[in-house]
Amino acid sequence: MDAVDVSDHYEVTTSEETPSLLSIVLDTNPRAWAALGNVLPLSKAIANILVFVNAHLAFSNSNQVAIIAAHVNRAVWLYPSPPTAKKPTDTSGDVQMQDASTSAPPGSANKFPQFAQIEAAVLASVRKLTDETTGEDLETTTTQLSGALTLALCHIHKASQQLSAAGTNLEDHTKSSAATNPMKGRILVISVSDSEPAQYIPTMNAVFAAAHSQIAIDTLSLSGDSTFLQQACFNTNGTFLAASNPQGLLTYLMFGLIADTEARQSLIPATHDKVDFRAACFCHGKVVDTGFICSICLSIFCEVPENTECLTCGTKLALGNYGAKPAVIPRKKKKKKKIVNGTVREDTGSGAGTPRA
Amino acid sequence: MSVSNMPALQLREYLERLPGTTFRKLYQQPSTAFAIFRRMLPHLAKTFVMRMLFMPAPMLLADLDIWVKPDAKKQKDQALFILQALHIVHISPPSREKPQEMQLTTNFKNSMRRALTGGGTHNSFGVPSTLVVPPEIDIPFLDRYARKKWEDILHFVVSSVGFKSAGEVSGPNKSVKELLIAGRLVERRPNGSIGITQTGFTFLLQEANAQVWTLLLLWLEAMETNKMAGLEAVDMLSFLFVLASMELGRAYDTNALTEQRRNMLPSLVDFGLIHVPHHKRSMFFPTRLATTLTSSGNSLRSISEGVAAATSAAFNGTSNSGGPPGHGPLKSSTELKGSVVVETNYRLYAYTSSTLQIAVLALFSKLNMRFPDMVAGRLTRASIRQAIQFGITADQIISYLAAHAHEQMHRTAALTNKPVLPPTVVDQIRLWQLENERMKTTGGFLFKDFEDQKEYLAVAQFAEEVGVLVWRNDKTGMFFASRHEQIRDLLRNRKKAE
Amino acid sequence: MPRAIRGVLIECDPSIKSIIVNIDSKNHDFIIEDLDEERVVVKENMVGELKRRLEDRLKENLPPVEESGSE
Repeated sequence: MDAVDVSDHYEVTTSEETPSLLSIVLDTNPRAWAALGNVLPLSKAIANILVFVNAHLAFSNSNQVAIIAAHVNRAVWLYPSPPTAKKPTDTSGDVQMQDASTSAPPGSANKFPQFAQIEAAVLASVRKLTDETTGEDLETTTTQLSGALTLALCHIHKASQQLSAAGTNLEDHTKSSAATNPMKGRILVISVSDSEPAQYIPTMNAVFAAAHSQIAIDTLSLSGDSTFLQQACFNTNGTFLAASNPQGLLTYLMFGLIADTEARQSLIPATHDKVDFRAACFCHGKVVDTGFICSICLSIFCEVPENTECLTCGTKLALGNYGAKPAVIPRKKKKKKKIVNGTVREDTGSGAGTPRA
Repeated sequence: MSVSNMPALQLREYLERLPGTTFRKLYQQPSTAFAIFRRMLPHLAKTFVMRMLFMPAPMLLADLDIWVKPDAKKQKDQALFILQALHIVHISPPSREKPQEMQLTTNFKNSMRRALTGGGTHNSFGVPSTLVVPPEIDIPFLDRYARKKWEDILHFVVSSVGFKSAGEVSGPNKSVKELLIAGRLVERRPNGSIGITQTGFTFLLQEANAQVWTLLLLWLEAMETNKMAGLEAVDMLSFLFVLASMELGRAYDTNALTEQRRNMLPSLVDFGLIHVPHHKRSMFFPTRLATTLTSSGNSLRSISEGVAAATSAAFNGTSNSGGPPGHGPLKSSTELKGSVVVETNYRLYAYTSSTLQIAVLALFSKLNMRFPDMVAGRLTRASIRQAIQFGITADQIISYLAAHAHEQMHRTAALTNKPVLPPTVVDQIRLWQLENERMKTTGGFLFKDFEDQKEYLAVAQFAEEVGVLVWRNDKTGMFFASRHEQIRDLLRNRKKAE
Repeated sequence: MPRAIRGVLIECDPSIKSIIVNIDSKNHDFIIEDLDEERVVVKENMVGELKRRLEDRLKENLPPVEESGSE
């Protein structure tokens, strides 16, 4: 008779693969893509991305994918197509038989049906998007990243809800968020443009929300300077890759970013060492290295706000010994530290960073 | 290992027995490579394959160690083992000149790439039919059709358990019955009726995906012994994988299939995997049983029910209970998954109204209450012992309970980091089985009355070396051996030598 | 010339063995040879019958089946 508490003899666990939802936020800034045009045209990039999507779906029947375009001034759903365009096709591969003429093209014997559908949907959406792009859009060099991130987060949340709604809901949902995630989500941002300082706040809000729900944000930066995305990856335990060779997009995707949340537990991620922790000020949206902080709500300002009143929380701030050196510990005068109400803001370059949620 | 690996194990056993050449042939078809990738590999292995897929040159085996965290070494080794066993990866033998290299096997790599990018002329995802589809054939119809066929088969197996010997039930096709008998899931009793065997119980208690594969593998092996072996089985297997990658609800062309595959169609219809409309024999429809062949067993569980239920309004009216869902997802008995709750006081509750599932539960538990959507009962010593007398093992019962554990049980288990079934109950079931096992029997021969001690020692020694010795007593000069042929020959030789 | 007798070797607890010996004592048509405290060799064709009788004996000794009144 075996010892009664050899628990791995008696423990009955079911190891199933939790489905994984991959949300891709594709930066579609036309100007940036035009600049990349000779190295990596947008069409080829999309083809590579689609192969990556197929790879993700190949892992399991229940994996899902969502693709959002972060365009110049709006975020647009590429896949699943928004309901007005066509009937949403769910990932079990069902296709409405009746309107065979208007829905997805007839299945090819050479392509896995689900892949064919997604490809058709994405191409149609991108075409529509480019058609709608106006001349003014071509001026801006930044994209509506925060909007796209928010869309992705909502979608992940909704999908998880749908799955957990399948079983009886005897348990308190707030408890279950940390424990049994019916679905593991992650966001991959493919960025080609700079981070817009004015979007700092909404972007960081999205990042903190993702970190709270344990949704990793990965970034593949093809060109441009993406400060905030580095912070985003750092905060959410995601992977940040700066591609020095944009043509190798597929390799970057397949090698560095294919590992999903579950596999990451066993793999050592390839990460960026240095993170740019610069923040943007709340009053102008400029990126600052040193500035003033309200000690109540921790909002960042590049200069003393008028009436010494914090713009976010309205507390009247008092400027402490402005410019004075701290008297307690005699120090070598290395850098000038600015003090507001006792809170010290150090130069950022490495080390101390934005407060984590 | 864990429960949901059982189906893969069966298919894996079958695949692992195939030689490398067969794999090379199998992997020529992208749908096969795709199906095997999806179904047979653990998660980490899949990640490895994807990483290596577009690598131009082989990679160093040592690099793999760099990828993996140190505490995940066991998983890495496991992944490597399976990848090699399925001939997906080729590792160069260790040599002094150069370090070991690893790369994907050529056919697999090409097929997988093609599967991901589409293209080529292999037609391995099924040629769709260009004919007009009869309007009455839609997804709910196919689901109902498949469900009915499958439940007939299961009913046939269940009804062959002692106490439910019904008359002539309109059961599955004769060929299916023969197959079940040939596969030793049921057997012909001396009095002419059909009785279930222990393998049959294992079959009953498996999850749906595993059951389908069991039947298919039995069929493959039966066909193998009938006709010329080898090539046939490979082609049949790749056709199954083609089926697995087809779209539910789409019609496919029968004429595009090779003749061999066309001959497979009638049996597949009997199993409920495809449907051929009577008036239009040149098209066929895969059912959900076929298209989910390569899903992980549990994707047939709440996940797909949830997704289907929530995103497609056509499928359900209510999307809340874990009990009998709407008509959409295939509602065969063993697919009303996640409906059994086992408490630490041995009480059992099953949120099901399927007679089939209730019959299975009644095999090993004492059900005492029945409601429209639930049955309640308990696991008692008597009920377990009765089950054991039928030939069911404790492990089968435990696996069944785990496979059909309610969502809630899984959630609580994940939350509190405990096993799904209460260990007390699991232990007790095993103990009850042990209670019956009071003795161990071994058939064989008792050797005694040797001429002298020397002869006894010599013969006993020989028996031990040959491996047939079960017991010996040197003092009384007797021993017990499980087989006597070798010993008899030895004694004869000794006699001749004298 | 040594003899080889066909039979079934039964290994069990001493308590079970004593029950077997007891069952056999009536007609002596089960046991071929009593080997030691824990083993006997029994006639092959009588094994089924022996198991049945053994089960009956054991059932007699079982505690009464408790049906807890509450449900």
